[in-house]
Amino acid sequence: MAAAGSGGSRADNGYGGQQARRRRGPGALATGYLVIYNVVMTAGWLVIAVGLVRAYLAKGSYHSLYYSIEKPLKFFQTGALLEILHCALGIVPSSVVLTAFQVMSRVFLTWAVTHSVKEVQSEDSVLLFVVAWTITEIIRYSFYTFSLLNHLPYLIKWARYTLFIVLYPMGVSGELLTIYAALPFVRQSGLYSISLPNKYNFSFDYYTFLILVMISYIPIFPQLYFHMLHQRRKVLSHTEEHKKSE
Amino acid sequence: MGGRAGFFEVEILDWETKKQLCFLDKVEPNATIREIRLMFHKLYPRWYPARQSIKLDPKGKSLRDEEILQHLPVGTTATLYFKDLGPQIGWTTVFLIEYTGPLFIYFVFYFRMTFVYGLDERFTSSPHPVVNLACICHSFHYIKRLIETVFVHRFSRGTMPLRNIVKNCLYYWGFAAWLAYYINHPLYTPPSYGKKQINFAVIMFLLCEAGNFSIHVALSDLRRNGSKTCKIPYPTKNPFTWLFFFVSCPNYTYEVGTWISFTIMTQCVPVGLFTLLCFIQMTVWAKDKHCTYLREFKDYPSHRMPIIPFLL
Repeated sequence: MAAAGSGGSRADNGYGGQQARRRRGPGALATGYLVIYNVVMTAGWLVIAVGLVRAYLAKGSYHSLYYSIEKPLKFFQTGALLEILHCALGIVPSSVVLTAFQVMSRVFLTWAVTHSVKEVQSEDSVLLFVVAWTITEIIRYSFYTFSLLNHLPYLIKWARYTLFIVLYPMGVSGELLTIYAALPFVRQSGLYSISLPNKYNFSFDYYTFLILVMISYIPIFPQLYFHMLHQRRKVLSHTEEHKKSE
Repeated sequence: MGGRAGFFEVEILDWETKKQLCFLDKVEPNATIREIRLMFHKLYPRWYPARQSIKLDPKGKSLRDEEILQHLPVGTTATLYFKDLGPQIGWTTVFLIEYTGPLFIYFVFYFRMTFVYGLDERFTSSPHPVVNLACICHSFHYIKRLIETVFVHRFSRGTMPLRNIVKNCLYYWGFAAWLAYYINHPLYTPPSYGKKQINFAVIMFLLCEAGNFSIHVALSDLRRNGSKTCKIPYPTKNPFTWLFFFVSCPNYTYEVGTWISFTIMTQCVPVGLFTLLCFIQMTVWAKDKHCTYLREFKDYPSHRMPIIPFLL
């Protein structure tokens, strides 16, 4: 039995990380479904990657590439919501809460920031996080696919547990810069905000909310990053020992 | 090997490292776990009994104080495992802190203290009677809870981990501040259906508070003799306790009812959200309690639901 175990665990920010916990694992039907799911997602993010490259070659510059991959990005990133269901059903041995948190933060950035605030779509920061997400997701979903098929090439495992070192800060920077760029437009248009007085006696300021979201990156990012570095040491050194003992 | 002349020997190991922390010889066979905790505490003064989790299995449940050594599945040399539960705080203390906070925090907003709504609005009062009513109801609710904590509740477990109090206080105090902010806001809008809505809400509020109090008294009477054992609660002569016919935890049912009535009274979304969260939390607790009842009593009334009659 491959040490990678079943399904995929998502105790990272999608930038590479924790080894799947060993568990009884899903049944044959669930495994088949998960393989299909992960293959489709890998293909989807490859489509996005190819789309980016083609758009870059066609335009000759890397600005405003978002528009050429907008639809597949929305589709496949939103599709990741299924992963919450997978955890809830128990076919993937991850925490529902953790997975929900990570997927929702991605979906939030895709829809509630980039889609909703049209003015930021031409920002370069969008390209920054889209590229980070694309590379990460391609590796992550192929990692899960191969794990489920019990045939994980070392290269994929290495990539998953190493490339995050660059991709994670890159993605976080892109995300923060995009939210920051959206702020003045949110303030101006009063997007998603409701103020007093109203008959439900409720108020919500999306501008303040976005600032709080940005601040929340400060405690969360270092924790996840160092956790993944720790996981990397554990997983890759474990494999080295395996190799040496052969 | 074994004990001499009927005595037991008890070794206590750390649950993680399996290192032997202490070895007690000449332990009476009918010694309780409570006594063993006291002996352990003498050797390790910083680990007072409430902090000690003593178990038969490193990953198992903690043994209760009342358990007797010779009734446990151990030989005459017993191996027990110790886990430090961390600093503990008494339930009564926790409740007192948790409930006093919202009481006074609400007043900060009701009296419109300086920094809350700006200098222009400080110490003004609302033109709406419902705002005064809401303050009375909210305060009544927490004063009632404080009185119950001191005079009525009998807790089955003495303590909880200290870090829980930070979490709990943030939750209760935070929400109290959030909802008090909107109810006492200068731009507050009274309920859409006016007096009818408010009067209905007040009556529902009073009924639920009376109900909740009756249940707490009934539950406390079950433990009157200081016994720590669980008994099935049954309806008494008090009509409010007749809810016991239908649910295992009517105190939670009434509590949710109180907050629903408060939501109707103030017509305020934050109150509604708080009510929803309370409902979810209490449903979890009620289901838990219900399962415990079902497990411990073979003759538990089968038609009872955890928190909502017939439904949940």
